[in-house]
Amino acid sequence: MKPAPFAYHAPETLPEAITLLQRFESDGVDAKILAGGQSLMPMLAMRVARPEVLVDLRRLRSLDYIRAEGGTLTIGAMTPKRAAEQSALVRETQPLFHAATELVGHVGVRNRGTVGGSFAHADPASEYPAVALVLDMELKAVGPAGERTIPAADFFVTYMTTSLEATEVLTEVRLPAWTRGTGWAIQEMARRQGDLALAGVAATLRLVRGACTGVRLAAFGVNATAVRLRAAEELLEGQRPEAANFARAAAAGAGNLEEPMSCVHASSEYRRQLVEVLAKRCLAEAASRAV
Amino acid sequence: MARGVLKLPEDLPVSVPRFVGKEVTRLEDPGLVTGTAEFIDNLSLAGMLHCAILRSPHPHARILRIDTSAAEAMDGVAAVLTGEDLRRWCNPAVTAPEGWGSYSMAVDKVRFVGEPVAAVAACNRYLAEDALEQIRVEYEPLPCVPDAHAATTPGASLVFEEKGSNVIQSRVYDWGEVDRMFAEADHVVSNTFRWNRVGANPTETFGCICQWDLTGNALTCHGSYQVPRFMALGRSATLRLPANRIRIIAQPMGGGFGGKGGPRGTDIAALLSRKAEGRPVKYIEDRIEYLLAGGGQSWDRHYEAALAVRADGTITGLKVKLLDDQGAGAEGYGTISAAKPLAAFTGCYRIEAARYDLTLVATNRAPTYPFRGYGPPPHYFVLESLVDMAARKLGMDPAELRRRNYIRPEQFPYVVPSGNEYDSGQYEVVLDKALALADYAKLRAEQARARAAGRLIGIGVVSTVEPGVFDWNCYATVGVPGVGVPEGVKVAVDILGNVTVAVGFNLQGQGQFTVAAQVAADYLGVDMHAVRVATAASDVALPHFGQGGSRLGVSVTGAVLGACRKLEVLFCRVVAHLMQTTPEQVELMDGRLRLKANPAVGMTLAEVAGTMLARSDLLPPDVEPCPEANYVWTAPGRTAPDEQGRCKSYLTAANATHLVMVEVDRETGQTSILGYWIVDDCGTRLNPATVDGQIEGGVAQGVGAALFEEYVYGESAQPLVTTFVDYLIPTIGEVPSSRKAVVVTPSPVSPLGAKGTGEGAIHTTPAAIMCAINDALSPLGIEVRETPASPRRLWQLLQQVA
Amino acid sequence: MTDKQRVCVTVNGRRYERWVEPRLTLVDFLRHELHLGGTHVGCEHGICGLCTVLIDGRSGRSCLTLAVQVDGAEVTTIESLRDPSTGALHPIQQAFVDAHGLQCGFCTPGFIMTTVELLRENPDPSDEEIKRALDGNLCRCTGYQSILASVRLAARRLREGREA
Repeated sequence: MKPAPFAYHAPETLPEAITLLQRFESDGVDAKILAGGQSLMPMLAMRVARPEVLVDLRRLRSLDYIRAEGGTLTIGAMTPKRAAEQSALVRETQPLFHAATELVGHVGVRNRGTVGGSFAHADPASEYPAVALVLDMELKAVGPAGERTIPAADFFVTYMTTSLEATEVLTEVRLPAWTRGTGWAIQEMARRQGDLALAGVAATLRLVRGACTGVRLAAFGVNATAVRLRAAEELLEGQRPEAANFARAAAAGAGNLEEPMSCVHASSEYRRQLVEVLAKRCLAEAASRAV
Repeated sequence: MARGVLKLPEDLPVSVPRFVGKEVTRLEDPGLVTGTAEFIDNLSLAGMLHCAILRSPHPHARILRIDTSAAEAMDGVAAVLTGEDLRRWCNPAVTAPEGWGSYSMAVDKVRFVGEPVAAVAACNRYLAEDALEQIRVEYEPLPCVPDAHAATTPGASLVFEEKGSNVIQSRVYDWGEVDRMFAEADHVVSNTFRWNRVGANPTETFGCICQWDLTGNALTCHGSYQVPRFMALGRSATLRLPANRIRIIAQPMGGGFGGKGGPRGTDIAALLSRKAEGRPVKYIEDRIEYLLAGGGQSWDRHYEAALAVRADGTITGLKVKLLDDQGAGAEGYGTISAAKPLAAFTGCYRIEAARYDLTLVATNRAPTYPFRGYGPPPHYFVLESLVDMAARKLGMDPAELRRRNYIRPEQFPYVVPSGNEYDSGQYEVVLDKALALADYAKLRAEQARARAAGRLIGIGVVSTVEPGVFDWNCYATVGVPGVGVPEGVKVAVDILGNVTVAVGFNLQGQGQFTVAAQVAADYLGVDMHAVRVATAASDVALPHFGQGGSRLGVSVTGAVLGACRKLEVLFCRVVAHLMQTTPEQVELMDGRLRLKANPAVGMTLAEVAGTMLARSDLLPPDVEPCPEANYVWTAPGRTAPDEQGRCKSYLTAANATHLVMVEVDRETGQTSILGYWIVDDCGTRLNPATVDGQIEGGVAQGVGAALFEEYVYGESAQPLVTTFVDYLIPTIGEVPSSRKAVVVTPSPVSPLGAKGTGEGAIHTTPAAIMCAINDALSPLGIEVRETPASPRRLWQLLQQVA
Repeated sequence: MTDKQRVCVTVNGRRYERWVEPRLTLVDFLRHELHLGGTHVGCEHGICGLCTVLIDGRSGRSCLTLAVQVDGAEVTTIESLRDPSTGALHPIQQAFVDAHGLQCGFCTPGFIMTTVELLRENPDPSDEEIKRALDGNLCRCTGYQSILASVRLAARRLREGREA
């Protein structure tokens, strides 16, 4: 189980990286960005991914940071997930993102894997895309034409595919200011501790005068991308935070899902069921945290 | 003079045993925690090439053409092997029953996904895998046999055409008046059960380095070999070499659990060496190869079974009908797994009569191999589930129903209907201790409260017998000849009093080197650190088997005791001669040979050994200058089987009760283990820490089989679980911490009273967990009779009553 | 340009310079180029954790890392733990021996390296914290209970050693 041959570049600067990507693009060379490699390496080892070139971003130390900019929390794409997990700033200002980070894989994987790598890899079973949808995160990319900011809703296109151009590099993820009093939850069903989720749900909501408001709910591990459960959100908006309302909303959210994917561990119907159960439980947990 | 058979540790010639029975740290460990143990992939030979194997993507297909020219032309490729070479040089694998083996590389057709089709030896593994991509194979797909039921369908495609059928064996064992027991029963509890494929998956895959001596026509193989001499015999048959020209050198192994293939990999690396002018060829199986075809798949079983029960709860009869999917032939001796339950067919119970209707079939799934426990884990899942079903039917507590049917202490030695004799046991004492340890009554009260609140909480109380110290005679009915399994050691004392124990096996994890050193040190009265245990190569070692069948701890103990006893006799003669007395006047005690009449007068081991090696003038005339002794142990009193397979097979019968409490999440089907309690009786515990480790490890594998692990195949025999992403070995997060207690009933027939204990936990844990789940589900009137009880499977079941 | 690349790396305090194919994994580099065979291979696809080493002090799977990625880094493997002058085992290694935290020992170096990081960051971990830290390392022999005990024992001894 050894990778097929490839060439390797580790540019010193972001412009250099973009220039390389441009060159490979125009030469028709299949280049792939290496951000940490925790998802890419197994694919290389099994020879299911066979890029001709790897462009390793490890030298771009300037993309390793966690900063508060006004209310916004910005995380450099090359920041190890473990750094986000251990950051007091992340824990205190973005509890949902922090909880999601803790759910990713195992310690060693979080040490080596980067925050940006997970976003760019866009595995539908990953926690981050769902959290990005719930929190209205933004993704900053730099390409030959300069910088652009992509709303999470436009970033994830389909299975392991984003709206990044082949010549663009994801440089930063941006978390909008956390609204005080927002309740949140993330729950998932994985076969073993640390496994990719069979299904999961992330949620936020606020309670205003005893009613749920600003309900955001997204499921992961179910469709080709993480997906907002809008039917559930709409149904719960303005409702009291009660078990029956959560159940009704969860059922609507799960019921409106596109046909979930199927694998040896979970059929399509079972995944739909998991979304319903986890959504119900997440809403209750989020409501219990809302003030 | 020397003593007879040592029945207990106290019989050893020391004032107090210092090592046997103690939680001594293991000799093996310093090399393992520092990473310096020489596992096969740490070994490198000069000029060594690296092998990669091209494997079939088809479950069943004719091979029309293989073009290896592009691979052969690559720089760095030394040799390419195909089935044509095998046809020319080899024989198919020897199997039991005969004639169900393939060549080590596909000849003419492939029979399962992952079967080797071609192989490359190149200067490194990366390049060897590149070369595989240059090999072109044309296949003509054949209709496949995807599962056991399809195998027996009229007109089914044939996995082995020359056999004319896919049925490897079909026979009925009848032990006692089964029909009468069922006719007279007040209740008959019957059901179907399905055990899906699981397997060993040691953390180290198989690996070897093979070197063909082209002038001497001999073969040397280093590798992770569990049973070296058996491996040499098998290679002799397939490679057409005299067995004494095959040298198998076992390296330390990263686990085994029976499921470490090796025959095919060894043959392929050996033949590549032969083609590459005798250069050594290393083959390290990767994990995907292991999961596809590495001998890590076992027990693919469809059961129909029934219990005959009287109104008072007495169980009188057991019928088990098993359709066993062996996969593509019997090369892995999966057939033996189906025969193993003969050693303990009726478990802990006084069941008078039993029937075993056994059909073994070939399919286009991977061949099945041994896995820890061999056959009983699925068998006990069936038997114990039936006992629980009977308890529910009778409205009786499952623990009480078991108690009522246990073999009683005064009935030992006890012959079970399937013929084996259990040596000893106190099953009720074990049960009571388990019930007390778990506070069973309190658990039941807790369960009642939880049930009232709508929660699905269940308790499993399961008791099993672990047949220990395997014997070939148990497998006679599937075509394995022989009675007795020799295990030999040499014990040598040097001029400075150091002791070497030479054995025929290497480290695999169970700590048998430590056991050998404990026993030798206490017998000879030396420090354990004065004892070195070393592995002899298969061609010069004494007859041996190695790890397998809950046997080696007992066997190596017997062998070391035997060799030490011979040394004792020898040394007493030498000392008697030196002191001008008779051997009867001399005794070994605490490491000294001393005069019984005057214990202050004596000689140390080193003095005796030194005299023997360096003062031939002082020796009795017929004594060789050799302070060493060989002893080959085999279990005493074993018998040849009758036509129904009945014989004294496994020497010891250990016993355990596992008690487990689970909760099933009604909405997700997920099972959580809330508590786990174990009481175990394996006789004398030679090293209690090692015994605990065997139990805890068996529990983990049992948790895997009951809840997580499964080799899933698609409708066309395509394996769907081919990585560790999908083959779910439990992590530290899934294995429960158990509370344990011990009962010790020393075996009256084994050395020092120890019983085989490597497999008992995996016999018991799957049954205990499945019984607990069904206890949880019982208020809903549903039950799960298929392993593993994965969340998806339980949820589907729960849908029936949603 | 699949040509070999230069890797300058410090492994266990010693500097190495090698030219390697970009596709060479770190574990193969350690084992077969530097002959540090204590880091074992279990799955090569990032699940089993056997090949865990420290890269710049942080645990990582050396099968999921390319050798070229550690150019300029410091790598620490199981071979570094023993006291070089006395040969004495590291307290974590000794705890695994004393608490019978291994059977076949093939997964043990990975567990020990993960434990090195855990106890550096958290000298007094709870059982739950130990389980969370070690859930990326598979063991097929022990059932993990003795590993848990070994880590607890090592933590206690290391704390006592620091106080002494």
